[in-house]
Amino acid sequence: MKKLFNDPATMVDDMIDGFVSAYPHVRRGSLDPRIVVRQRNRKDPDASVTLLIGNGSGHEPIAMGFVGKGVLDANVVGDVFAAPSADLILDGIREVSGAAGTILLISRHSGDVINGRAAAMLAEEEGMKVVPLLMYDDISAAPPERRADRRGAPGTMFIYKILGAAAEAGWSLERLMRLGEDVRERTVTLAAAVSPGISPLTGQPMFSLPDDEIFLGMGVHGEPGVGRVRTGPVRELVEGMIRRLLDDRPVAAGGRVAVIVNGMGGTTMMELLTVWAETVKALASRKVRAIAPMVGSFVTTQETGGFSISLLEPDDEMLEFWCAPSDTPAFPGIEATEECLA
Amino acid sequence: MSADGFFRSLHEAASTRMQELNALDAAVGDGDHGTTLVRGLTRAATAEPGRRAKAFMRASGGASGTLFGLVLHEIELHLDGGSDLAKGLERACARICDLGEVRPGDKSLVDSLAPAVGALAGGKPLAEAVSAAEAGRDATRDMHARCGRAQHVEGGGAGHLDPGAVSLVLILEALSRESDS
Repeated sequence: MKKLFNDPATMVDDMIDGFVSAYPHVRRGSLDPRIVVRQRNRKDPDASVTLLIGNGSGHEPIAMGFVGKGVLDANVVGDVFAAPSADLILDGIREVSGAAGTILLISRHSGDVINGRAAAMLAEEEGMKVVPLLMYDDISAAPPERRADRRGAPGTMFIYKILGAAAEAGWSLERLMRLGEDVRERTVTLAAAVSPGISPLTGQPMFSLPDDEIFLGMGVHGEPGVGRVRTGPVRELVEGMIRRLLDDRPVAAGGRVAVIVNGMGGTTMMELLTVWAETVKALASRKVRAIAPMVGSFVTTQETGGFSISLLEPDDEMLEFWCAPSDTPAFPGIEATEECLA
Repeated sequence: MSADGFFRSLHEAASTRMQELNALDAAVGDGDHGTTLVRGLTRAATAEPGRRAKAFMRASGGASGTLFGLVLHEIELHLDGGSDLAKGLERACARICDLGEVRPGDKSLVDSLAPAVGALAGGKPLAEAVSAAEAGRDATRDMHARCGRAQHVEGGGAGHLDPGAVSLVLILEALSRESDS
């Protein structure tokens, strides 16, 4: 597989060079070149709560693409597929911390949890006000009674955006944490992987899959999930995924859900829009309205083929924050359109 | 007695034992424990005062870099800032158990660290804490790993010393040498 980079040792830094020069929303942090912070619309950290996340690279545009007004204040960028170290996350916290406090978002994967929580402990020891918020939503990782054992998946973007908008509106740290936990409890995600991405580290496919099979419940790093299903019309695949999602967290007839259809990097917009259309139908057949969609490739794993569907059953306030305007390099405008109701 | 001397002394000891630590790790894990430890300590030895343990975390990498870094952080605070060693190591041990989801008996660095913390909390001198850590280290030979890579090895790695427990003793020995100097 051909990949475009200079040197594996510098590929992450070369990418960040490109990112900060392409977008006026962001610049490098002053404490470390692996920290991306807001350039314009910076908050007063003594007046407004700041939000940041650390993550391995190789999944762009998440999370640095969401640094900007209405979403994140900073992103700490690790090596390819590797959580940033605790001291680096600590520097990221230092970049944005203030009297109003900071929420360190952590997508629940082993290295991210250990290093993120350690960073929060060290930051507190230094007198900073910071609280970690663990995010998890992948229903294939653990059953509903063990929700807290689930992995972070693309449904975590609901938390980024909703907390980002609420923080911009001046909400307190304690209130934001409760809101984040509430969004987490209302979010479920299931993924389907069609073809492997190629690791830029090894040049090798990250998993193998016969041509006529699809992995259900794949983690973002190629971890095995629920099992395999045969390829067929996307209608049947999506119908089965919606059934599993609603079995896991039921939504009453007449209810509504906000939806993320996320591409894994190697799936076209043509395919993702078809998935969205089938999602609307599968939900409508259960008398659930699909609203405020986010459709596109945001949490990627190189050129992995596949997608995930995330559902959030929002209250009015969550929906308002989900659809609030933002100004970041990669977060799309979300429309609370009623026209998409089937 | 300084953090600088401690990190230099530990770097030297770990470098000497690097192959041995890698071999121990190869029996139960991916065989790079010595290499990652030395990589972290090499950076720590040249870092600015007050940031040595953090430099270690960055250069060593991964979850193990963080967990060992928490121990080194407390030792650095003790040697450079005069903080209480017993309380510091107790805090590091509690954090490692919490973050790494390990308990004594799981065949990990905690099996060396916890006995040392117990000795210091009981008012014993550092030399006795090192002895307690050594006994804890030796006890890992018969333990079955419940977490980490070793759990997937036949018998949970029983019959092999845990490499993390071994290197934790190296850390305490270096501290003991520095405290005597």
